[in-house]
Amino acid sequence: MTERRACVPNVPSVVNKVGQPASIPAHGRDPLDDHELVLGAKRGDRDAFKTLFERYHRRAYALALGVVRHPDDALDVVQEAFIKAHRYLDKFEGNAGFYTWLYRIVMNLAIDHLRKHRRENPVELDETRLETDGDEPLLPRILGGNPGRALHDKQLRARIDLALDELSDNHRSVLVMRELEGLSYEEMAQAMGCSKGTIMSRLFHARRNMQKQLLDLIDHPSAELVADLTGGRSGDADDDTPANEEAAPQRAPAARSRR
Amino acid sequence: MMRDRKAVTDLELMEHADGEPTGAMAAGRIARDPDAQAKVTSIQQMSELVRGHLELSADAVHDAKFAAMWHRIDEQLEAPRVTGLWASLAGWFDRYRGHVITGAVSAGAVAALALVLRPGVPDRGIPGLRGGAIDVRPVALRATPEIDLHDTPGESSTVINLEDEDGHTTVIWLTPADTVEGI
Repeated sequence: MTERRACVPNVPSVVNKVGQPASIPAHGRDPLDDHELVLGAKRGDRDAFKTLFERYHRRAYALALGVVRHPDDALDVVQEAFIKAHRYLDKFEGNAGFYTWLYRIVMNLAIDHLRKHRRENPVELDETRLETDGDEPLLPRILGGNPGRALHDKQLRARIDLALDELSDNHRSVLVMRELEGLSYEEMAQAMGCSKGTIMSRLFHARRNMQKQLLDLIDHPSAELVADLTGGRSGDADDDTPANEEAAPQRAPAARSRR
Repeated sequence: MMRDRKAVTDLELMEHADGEPTGAMAAGRIARDPDAQAKVTSIQQMSELVRGHLELSADAVHDAKFAAMWHRIDEQLEAPRVTGLWASLAGWFDRYRGHVITGAVSAGAVAALALVLRPGVPDRGIPGLRGGAIDVRPVALRATPEIDLHDTPGESSTVINLEDEDGHTTVIWLTPADTVEGI
């Protein structure tokens, strides 16, 4: 698994609050690495553990929020995860990174939370079937321009929220693990305690359902979304031409050029 | 060559987009298929949207909330940890608090019902049931029954005349005379 820095999204043009780990001092001295901080925390150094908290709390929160979907519940999960991490720090041998260990705690607590507060889930497709349904393949729909910029669009973000809410707990958990943490299929299978095939099936269906939920927004983007995607705002809102007619011819070539 | 022309599957596309090992053949097929490339790009864009959205949501949480969270965590770390049987029981209760409370309420309700309906208790009717239990007391008699006793050979008879709300009733009760065999 590749360790990413704390909560640094790959979102161009969006300023991230936690772009730098909290423990990087201003004068440029190398920050203490996680291993040293863990050793310090094991010796009872509260500040070392606080540094770990400051380094990873937002990233852990993003993961918890993606799974449990409610901000207050996600905060509870993160708080419980850090308390648990501290309690069992002696058992952490350091074979994997601290965050790898922490995200597993967060993930387990988030899944426990879902089990305790189970809602009516959308019907889950048969996960033993690996074959994709012939009539519902993944869609070759592409947002023209820069999808990172598109996140300025409130409507798009609201729809992403809605689409995540619509997924079943299992589908959403796998999707969030993959997209947020970049785990391999094998790592996700270990974390979820199921087969790699099940993970692939869940991920496929999660992505296809997300696409279906966002399809009309992609095919018929609002003028604001087109402006966000292309980085320009002037004129578009006043133009009578439907946004999709203007954007459509640019979409595929623009997307292909990113590869 | 024949196999190389086979259409690339969505699962292969997904594996390719996620950087999973797919083999050179699948990668080659994807590279030659514009539709497959568009799907790969679509998967990658979706990843970017989901990741960016969640991370921006995390960034939007005010620092004060996390500061308060650390404060609560710090308090928990300071609190002496109770170990042993009591801690295990407390932990178990904490985990299953909802189930325990539901179970206790259900058991209480069953016990209360059993107490109310237990045999041998004067029937005051079931609480909440309109009208209560059925009244089974005997109907009131309009007059004292007239009883005539008659002795006839070998038996005695009793004639009872009753007047009640159903009208006049005569009951004739015949009792054979006590006989002892051989006497």
